[in-house]
Amino acid sequence: MIDWFHPGLIYILGAFLIPLFRGTIKKGYLLLLPVLALINLLLMSKGVFSPEGKEWILPFLGYDLILGRVDKLSMVFAYVFVIASFCMMLYAIHIKEEGQHVAAYLYVGSTLGVVFAGDLFTLFFFWEVMAWSALFLIWYRRRKAAYEAGFRYILVHFFGGLCLLGGILLHLQQTGSIAFETFSWGWGLSQEHVASYLILLAFLINAAVPPLHAWLSDAYPEATVTGAVFLTAFTTKSAIYVLIRGFPGAELLIWLGAIMAVYGVVFAVLENDIRRLLAYHIISQVGYMVCGVGMGVMGTAAGEMAINGAAAHAFCHILYKALLFMGAGAVLQVTGRSKLTELGGLYRYMPVTFHLYMVGAYSISGFPLFNGFVSKTMVVQASAMGHLPIIWLMLEGASIGTFLHTGLKLPWGTWFAKEKPVCEAKEPPKNMLVAMGLTSFLCILLGVYPKLLYDLLPYPVHYEPYAPGHVVSMSQLLGFTFVAFWVLRKKLHGEPTITLDTDWFYRMAGKWVIWFCEKPLMTFARFVDGKVMDLVHFLAWFSRNPAVAFHIKKEEVKVRVKKIYASPDRVEKYVRDLEEKRKKYPGELPKLTVGASLFLILFSFAVYLLLYLLMAY
Amino acid sequence: MKSLFWVLYGCLFLSVVAGIWVHFSLHPEAHFFWETFPFFSALYGFIGCIVIILGSKAIGHYWLQKREDYYEKPKGKQREGK
Repeated sequence: MIDWFHPGLIYILGAFLIPLFRGTIKKGYLLLLPVLALINLLLMSKGVFSPEGKEWILPFLGYDLILGRVDKLSMVFAYVFVIASFCMMLYAIHIKEEGQHVAAYLYVGSTLGVVFAGDLFTLFFFWEVMAWSALFLIWYRRRKAAYEAGFRYILVHFFGGLCLLGGILLHLQQTGSIAFETFSWGWGLSQEHVASYLILLAFLINAAVPPLHAWLSDAYPEATVTGAVFLTAFTTKSAIYVLIRGFPGAELLIWLGAIMAVYGVVFAVLENDIRRLLAYHIISQVGYMVCGVGMGVMGTAAGEMAINGAAAHAFCHILYKALLFMGAGAVLQVTGRSKLTELGGLYRYMPVTFHLYMVGAYSISGFPLFNGFVSKTMVVQASAMGHLPIIWLMLEGASIGTFLHTGLKLPWGTWFAKEKPVCEAKEPPKNMLVAMGLTSFLCILLGVYPKLLYDLLPYPVHYEPYAPGHVVSMSQLLGFTFVAFWVLRKKLHGEPTITLDTDWFYRMAGKWVIWFCEKPLMTFARFVDGKVMDLVHFLAWFSRNPAVAFHIKKEEVKVRVKKIYASPDRVEKYVRDLEEKRKKYPGELPKLTVGASLFLILFSFAVYLLLYLLMAY
Repeated sequence: MKSLFWVLYGCLFLSVVAGIWVHFSLHPEAHFFWETFPFFSALYGFIGCIVIILGSKAIGHYWLQKREDYYEKPKGKQREGK
């Protein structure tokens, strides 16, 4: 009897069968896989396959690989990944190209592999699959910009993967264990610390923490319309999961997270591309989660609240961010445009898309009755309980910016702003609208009935989101943000520019490397090449008749010397003689008798023997 | 559109009144001194939003915003986007 079946394998094995189906059956099959995975998870939580806390172990090279560590933390992430994958696949179901679906499901499956990994080898394996399967969701856009951004994306992730591998090996050497537990955290240069730093670095790259975040805002907006929806959920949130596992309560993360939350907001002001604007808000929102992980000191009420907040916010964020990208993707799908400077007035054609998008916008902004409100306020509350005033102000400030951009600037610029629509448009295909509707429903459901979410969280929740104080202060904050927006809305129109980010460093460095290879390095190579060829030509010339060639060379030297003291007439004669000899060269070759040949051979042997003896002693 | 704005003004007014009511009748737990001020969130939202817009735009215009073909053009031909 099967003890347990890995939900990630349902996706990974299922992905390879996708090309076997056609038409409606294929669509049904694509939607069946997440349903199967969800049933699997529900049975798991009921203890049918294996009771909570039990592990699925596979022996490998003398180590035990734990493919299935099932506890409350892994389950909450697994639930949202599976539910979100259903909505996302529904959004993408009209895509004919099978490769996109295969890549998407490999991506989802490997993320579930990361979530259930109980050891570092398994983690590393799925980590890498996750990185390259996501790459195809970018490359399937089939544009030059997408190819280039994809290459930059994968180079950054290869670097992250190597950091993770290096960290794992150092950790293994130090502790002798590959178990994926909390890493020792502190400042120092011992091997144990270095191992932790490398692993943390890899996690921070995937969580897109500045200054290691630029791959996200660079690559995600270049992905396909449907691929980008998948991308928003898995890489960054699985990074939050591993951070909760590996580095809860690391103080550094509090500050990184708060800076991240504000950083994304500042860049979103400057952004013209709507999907890039939303990508910066992924960074901002993941900042809340990273901050929550940092505040998650084990055993304290504030710490448990923070970890719960990080997990809950990841859960809600996946849903509303997918919804926002679905909305922006729908605009791109029907108009082919994604820049605010090229959009405006589309409400007349796409009212349903607008209203569904706005559900996501209210959710991310944290309006009461939407899911962002019940999760984001937990993290903010944890910062209050931990007496961190500056962090509290930064997180609340990021909330303002979030509503300003995703809730006001983006929808205003896309669906309104201009009197007349900038182009013809229509509502996107039905499946896209239904997917958006379903995701909207989930966002509102969790907002209205947060107990559904709170029951899944790793620690018992002692928090009442709808306390009058919370509701009123959030309403004031967002309401007056709108007032400020309305006053300054003229300043917020899109500008046809790009914004430099930390990818500038490697993009410019890459250019310089290529310039160095093309210019100085190639000049040097050509120089060496030329000299070697000159030598070859000389040797070929010389070997035709070495005796005469040697004579000619000797004469050349003589002429040069005579030029110094002899009269010009005589020098001219010498030069003419030399020219004659050169013309005649190679001339008649010397004919050797048998004896002379034999002598030369024996002579060369003797020289060889002499050299050999000299070398030997 | 105008009636929508009246609804909005009503909501803003209501949120401020509710803020005063919550503050004086329920006495919610305050972790920081500014939470004892009933309109703090409203002020923070308004001022914060203006600071974010103007601050970010200043950083963008003087430093970070460049022409869209910035990475394609050879160095030396670049100029500020705005």
